[in-house]
Amino acid sequence: MSSVLFVALPLLFGFSTPILGYFGKNAVAYVSTLMQLFLLYLGFDLLLNEGFSIELISIAPPLGISFVVTKVSLLFVLLFTSVMTLFSLYYLSYRSEKPYRDESKFFILINMLLAASIGLVLSSDIFNIYVFFEIAGISAYILSAYEKSSSALEAGIKYLITGAVASIFLIFAIVLIYIYIGSLNLGIIAQHFELLPFQIKLLISILLLIGFGFKVEIFPLNFWVSDVYQGSSTLVNALFSAIVVKAYLFVFFHLLYLFLPHGEFSLFLIYLGAFSMLAAEVAGLRQSHLKRLFAYSSLGQVALVFTAFALQNTQAIQAALFIVLAHSVAKMGIFFALALIEKEHESMESETLKSLNSPFLRVILLISMLSLLGIPLFAGFVGKLLVLKSLALEGMLPIIMMIILASLIEAVYYFKLAGYMFTSDKRRDVLKVTWAHKTILAFLSLLLLIIGMAPFLLSEYLFEASKLMLGGVS
Amino acid sequence: MFEFFNSPEVINIIVIIGSMLLFFVGLFGLLTQKHIIKIFMSIAIMETAVYLFFIGSLFKLDAIAPIMKVADDTSKFNDPIPHAMILTAIVIAMAVFALGVSFAIEYYKLSGKTNIDTMNEMRH
Repeated sequence: MSSVLFVALPLLFGFSTPILGYFGKNAVAYVSTLMQLFLLYLGFDLLLNEGFSIELISIAPPLGISFVVTKVSLLFVLLFTSVMTLFSLYYLSYRSEKPYRDESKFFILINMLLAASIGLVLSSDIFNIYVFFEIAGISAYILSAYEKSSSALEAGIKYLITGAVASIFLIFAIVLIYIYIGSLNLGIIAQHFELLPFQIKLLISILLLIGFGFKVEIFPLNFWVSDVYQGSSTLVNALFSAIVVKAYLFVFFHLLYLFLPHGEFSLFLIYLGAFSMLAAEVAGLRQSHLKRLFAYSSLGQVALVFTAFALQNTQAIQAALFIVLAHSVAKMGIFFALALIEKEHESMESETLKSLNSPFLRVILLISMLSLLGIPLFAGFVGKLLVLKSLALEGMLPIIMMIILASLIEAVYYFKLAGYMFTSDKRRDVLKVTWAHKTILAFLSLLLLIIGMAPFLLSEYLFEASKLMLGGVS
Repeated sequence: MFEFFNSPEVINIIVIIGSMLLFFVGLFGLLTQKHIIKIFMSIAIMETAVYLFFIGSLFKLDAIAPIMKVADDTSKFNDPIPHAMILTAIVIAMAVFALGVSFAIEYYKLSGKTNIDTMNEMRH
């Protein structure tokens, strides 16, 4: 079975939408979901049959394009496919009450996003990475402006400007790499990169850091994130924090480990990550709008993952992968639940939670927030503990202090929200949640509890994945 | 009189200095302009500068077009990869700007604003 299917099938679906449209709106929605379920099946099939491979498409190297399936890239492919499948299943039930305008285009966009994120992770050719970087960007800009209200369009414009600037720096780096090395294949670049003069290495690294810095939401290049989250629709935010940023994070550190295997700028990146986390949580403390608040919480978590990846050792990467999984699941739960609350109350101010009368949603939100916070028995705990442990082994006390301080600040605003939820007045009618939504939300929370109580189920796979990622299989 | 402009070193230097100047013109515009369309134009100028830099610095004066039927001696060929890359990049950039301008028009219709400083729908 070919790994190209992961990119080809969602794109093919996009082209076949006009034909499917003749069979009615439901046909598009159901075929898209079925295709994603099929991709999920293919992913698990690869996992169980150990179908890890390097696959060449069309021409022989160094010119040919290749897709590399390893334990670590397969982990991300599975994460993206399952997030997207759950999103589609959730939306199938949501759309009967509040569908998006022009739905078939919406399905094209989410499938483009899926194809591009998977392509980013699998591709081992730097120009292909640029192309997928742009495809993921374009579909994310449109998704963010999809509701066509003035705040959605404002979010879309801001996202597009930062994205376009990021892509200039990325293509500049690629151009310099091609001029000095003469190849676009990641494996060949990795072999020759160390031999370059120091100034050129520094210039390329800075350009890559700026290019990806916008996309991995690192301080000070993350000023646009909160506006984009607030302007975009709540369901789409789940995709932004569970898929888009994770794909960019993986690619950035994949390139870093390949090009600079000895960790030349590691210390700088660790401080950058820890400082970003602290800055995000401090800014989050002042927010009253729920989507904006969770945008800052996403920034904090992503910065923690950034710090862990920047440590550049196996244990820290394993921790980062744990946080990536836990954060994706928790943020999906939160944004899915918030979408229901927004539909009912038509407001996203945090005071809204005071009038939330739904014990089920309260419990889901609480479990997700406790997991984000890293309370024992929840999924977020394992990752955070491992990060702190590997920082302690490296003797980086200031960083540990910064992370603990940031977590304390995070705790303040989560407990404020929890306080709102559990002192609510009961005069409103109970918010009705359909059984389909209940099943998905309960599944997500259960997943958080299972990972939190039995991390050993995953730890061996993640450890081998992190060894492969650090070893730089290209 | 202008013979020395034909030497590859001089052409390379002109291309590099010129494209870097263009890059900073774009960057200056990006940082100082407030109108959304002007910001898109500045970004487009920066991108063009990168494309010129790439094509110009790998350009050889005496090389020929890389077509196998014309000549068998591949050492005389110009490298086709930069051109293929830049063509792809131009297409992508055009798509992004078309999208951006359409966002800007829709936004103007809804709110009547074109200045990026007054775009603060959400900070209240």
